[in-house]
Amino acid sequence: MGAFTRSPWVMHYDASSCNGCDIEVVASLTPLYDVERLGVMNTGNPKHADIFLVTGSVNAQNVKVLRTLYEQMPDPRVVVAVGICATSGCVFRECYNVMGGVDTVLPVDVYVPGCAARPESIIDGILQAVGLLEKKRLYMKTARGRMHEMQLSQATAIDAPEILALQKIVYQNEAEMYDDWSLTPLKQTLEDMRADFATRTFIKAVVGGKIIGSVRGWMEGDIAHLGRLIVHPLFWQKGLGTRLVTEIESRFPQARRFETFTGQKSRHTMEPYQRLGYAPIRQEKVSEHRDRVYFAREREGE
Amino acid sequence: MSPVETLIVAAVAVVAAPFAGGLLSGIDRRLSARMQSRQGPPLLQPFYDVAKLFQKETIVVRRSQNFYIYFFLAFMVFTTALFFTGSDLLLTIFALTLAGIFLVLGAYKASSPYSFIGAERELLMMMAYEPMVLLTGVGMYLVTRSFIVADIARYPQILAQYLPGLFLGFVFALLFKLRKSPFDLSASHHAHQEIVRGITTEFSGRTLALIEIAHWYETTVVLGIVALFFASVPWLAAVVTAAVFFLVIFVDNVFARVKWQLALASAWIVAVALGVGNILVVFFLR
Repeated sequence: MGAFTRSPWVMHYDASSCNGCDIEVVASLTPLYDVERLGVMNTGNPKHADIFLVTGSVNAQNVKVLRTLYEQMPDPRVVVAVGICATSGCVFRECYNVMGGVDTVLPVDVYVPGCAARPESIIDGILQAVGLLEKKRLYMKTARGRMHEMQLSQATAIDAPEILALQKIVYQNEAEMYDDWSLTPLKQTLEDMRADFATRTFIKAVVGGKIIGSVRGWMEGDIAHLGRLIVHPLFWQKGLGTRLVTEIESRFPQARRFETFTGQKSRHTMEPYQRLGYAPIRQEKVSEHRDRVYFAREREGE
Repeated sequence: MSPVETLIVAAVAVVAAPFAGGLLSGIDRRLSARMQSRQGPPLLQPFYDVAKLFQKETIVVRRSQNFYIYFFLAFMVFTTALFFTGSDLLLTIFALTLAGIFLVLGAYKASSPYSFIGAERELLMMMAYEPMVLLTGVGMYLVTRSFIVADIARYPQILAQYLPGLFLGFVFALLFKLRKSPFDLSASHHAHQEIVRGITTEFSGRTLALIEIAHWYETTVVLGIVALFFASVPWLAAVVTAAVFFLVIFVDNVFARVKWQLALASAWIVAVALGVGNILVVFFLR
């Protein structure tokens, strides 16, 4: 028996509308309905939550809040839209500031009908969500074993938020390693990255719909510059870096020479390049603890 | 005890303590629910929770924050082993404190304002209850002339008859240790909302599960110290410990949280009046 079915911790958030559904959510915690008998615990911390109960329609001001809360929830997670406003926007749908239902912002898994939703149907929604949690967990468990399903392809600006999130995870490790928090990849904004897509080629590695690695490159004269080789820590030591570099090299058939640089201690980034025959050409100091090592490789066989 | 016996006892204690602690936590949640006229979760709910947390993704602000939690757990295990093999009571108390410090360091390392508030409050709580816990060790020494838990447990009379003040004071400190109202400042148990979630805000998944397990060890050890007050009559020790546990849950459900100033002041007044007072009486009259 999966523990997920017995211990779903919920977080509730009221986007807008009348707050009636939110009151019903709280009512289901009261002695009369007592969802704790099913192991449900109410938490205000997204990092502890499994199920995200959203009530009310989404308006322009709380889109950001909703996204932030959702992104901070650890996988596996499930979103439940409680009440008709959360499902479709209901009578507020046409308002100038309302986006509509929750599914315009987050991937909703369960819809609970009602205005206001009855505590009984909210509890039913939670139990439906619990089943999905278990499914998602099994999926996650197998994700690492699904490397053979991995696909490399060119990324587009739509992928920018996901690649940026991955970049921040990876470079956070780098920043700790060098005790240097001024790394530009950590500070990059979404707008900035979107603009990069016009001038650079991005390659993404996808497993089960999630981006787990990326690299980008651009031409200057007949030299192809490669950079920001990132792989999610769960997928390190699996040869993914080498495959990403090989893939991006193939996107620049006109290049005579490939160049890149890494930090002097960044083994994870260095190794794939070295394995492919890149040689260090020079080293320069960028900050107190950090040196940049430049690598280059000439195209062979021409 | 021979070294081999000591090792066996330590191993049994280390394996059994989290189960006892988890079960106590389950009893706690169920009793609390009944006091609020709810049905409450199954008795084994804490184990389901921890099993689930182990399967969740672990999100960190900094990877190194988890490192401190390993030490928090390691020192809790060490404390448990020390106490139940009947070693030095002072060392047990210090190891317990050190474990707590690692939790605080972990929360500080997470560098989030919510985590900081939790960590600061945890430090305040430690300042509040530590004197009382330490005085307990001193009081037991004054009566039994030994800091060794095994000797204290073998003392022919009931310790509480010489140390009633220390006993009451320790029960008071227990409210802090078990994170119960009115002194659940840093992170309350149960589904109470905190400033986000206090000291555990930035911990998730496996790390949160480890914190919970460490707390089970902690519960077992501090209740063990309660039992030590009545160690010469085992059945009485069991009854009193159960009663104290019930009392703590009852108080948790009756009282609202107090401000930190009152928590600190009351804890020190109790430590001075009941703790130091009791020790002076024992010191001069025995």
